[in-house]
Amino acid sequence: MNNSVNGESHTVKEPVIRVDSVSRWFGAVVAVSDVSFDITPGITGLLGPNGAGKTTLLRMMTGLAATSTGTVTMFGEPVRDNPPLYRRIGVMSEHETVYGFMKGREFVKMMGRLKGVTDLENAVDRAIALVDLAEAQHRPMDTYSRGMRQRMRLAATLVHDPEVLVLDEPLNGADPRQRVHFKRLLEQLAADGRTIVLSSHILEEVEQLADTVLLIVNGKLAASGGFRAIRAALNERPYHVRVICDSPRKLAAAVVTLDSVDAVHMDPDGAVVVLSRNVLDLQVELPRLAQSSSISLRRVEPLDDSLESVFGYLVEQ
Amino acid sequence: MGAVYRLTLRQLTGRWRLSIMAILAVMPVVISVFMAWSATADSVEEFEEVVLSGMLAGSIAPLIVLAIAAAAFANEIEDRTLANLTLSPIPRWQIVLPKLLATITIAGSFIAVSAFAISYIAFLGDMKAVLSITVSALVGVVLYASAFVWIGLVSTQAIGVGLLYIILWEGFFSGFVSGVRMLSIRHYAIAVMHGLDERRFADFDHVGFTAAIVMSVVVFAGFLFLSIRKLRTMDVP
Repeated sequence: MNNSVNGESHTVKEPVIRVDSVSRWFGAVVAVSDVSFDITPGITGLLGPNGAGKTTLLRMMTGLAATSTGTVTMFGEPVRDNPPLYRRIGVMSEHETVYGFMKGREFVKMMGRLKGVTDLENAVDRAIALVDLAEAQHRPMDTYSRGMRQRMRLAATLVHDPEVLVLDEPLNGADPRQRVHFKRLLEQLAADGRTIVLSSHILEEVEQLADTVLLIVNGKLAASGGFRAIRAALNERPYHVRVICDSPRKLAAAVVTLDSVDAVHMDPDGAVVVLSRNVLDLQVELPRLAQSSSISLRRVEPLDDSLESVFGYLVEQ
Repeated sequence: MGAVYRLTLRQLTGRWRLSIMAILAVMPVVISVFMAWSATADSVEEFEEVVLSGMLAGSIAPLIVLAIAAAAFANEIEDRTLANLTLSPIPRWQIVLPKLLATITIAGSFIAVSAFAISYIAFLGDMKAVLSITVSALVGVVLYASAFVWIGLVSTQAIGVGLLYIILWEGFFSGFVSGVRMLSIRHYAIAVMHGLDERRFADFDHVGFTAAIVMSVVVFAGFLFLSIRKLRTMDVP
């Protein structure tokens, strides 16, 4: 694997999925650029902001889209135009790919039949029980909530007991209870030796679910490794905090003496912008300092707390 | 194959779509009743030219088939459900063929009933004429379906492209340029009708029966091949 954060090492396992120098472009737009990594059994999270290229990468990993250059193999075989291989894969895309006119059970059964499941009724029962939707299985899917549709889609993805699961933004529309259930289910599936790849643009989501993280930014693999290493890198990241108060010059002179502050400058509109690598301490020290200096704070706001800026920081490292 | 066939049948048999198909299929029957009512010596030729060639083979049949065939894949692409099929461990031809068969089943039912009814009315129950017209209409359905299923796969504007094809190619060029008739589904259907009942239908400028059969097989196999190839190479949304 490339770009391991902090050079973290892993136990070497035989890769189930191998992405080798893969790029994909649409006209002049490069969606994925020269990405290489291996995926081994366990839960791997594909993390990145919206538009980073996660879905394009997942689509190439499942054979739904062609690569412009490079190769994707699963169990040593090319995934593109390889129908026999699809018996071993379960894919759940980010879109609600259901037939609204079908009942939940009908949908899972049809998917099982398409996947060539032999003991169909038992397989359908088992898959629906896994997602805890037995009571709703005989209702048309267009009467389901979004979360229920997601779960029934997951049942359809699991009905043939695949060795590899590829899930694109699987927690969209899920409530907290469903998230907990989903997490337990994935852990159980991973413990059985399956390879699970899931994508998300939410750091905490991937942190809770994945053992290994692949960080995708602007179509490139920015980092990979255990989540702790990536989280540690994030914690070292400097934050810009904008402070509006009644005495900006006085505050700037005082705040620069704090240990949690790396630099201070004034905005053209009179606000104080503080650069800090220890925002937790700054949150405590700043109000104290203002109180002791008789400065009235009107507003304190982070300037770069968006996911894109967080990912951008990691890319620069 | 059965699962894809049943799924496609359910997808394509919405109430609105079926209602429009029924209205289109009834139109030539109504025209036939009027023509039978005011029959003259030239009526058979007029019936063949206006109702069979112009309406049934040239517009009603292709329109009905287009409305169904274009949706066979286009709806799945639009709803992003096509991946449910393409990520299944079945060869691509086992996706294309049942979708094509479902299209033929639905469109063929309407067209067969319509063709049977109009020919029965026009030829007063002459079963040879009735069967030749019904069979030739079904040949047209099969060929149009194979072409329009492919168009639904390759174009996001399948209905527009299909309409242009019906109006310009089948309606305009094949009517005025004799060479184009060798590449016209409408004329293959007409030729089959002539070939099956030479006694009833006058021989005029049409494609030969054998040529029509050969070309029909080539066109069907060609579009089937193109659809399967497209499904194998396309990026599935």
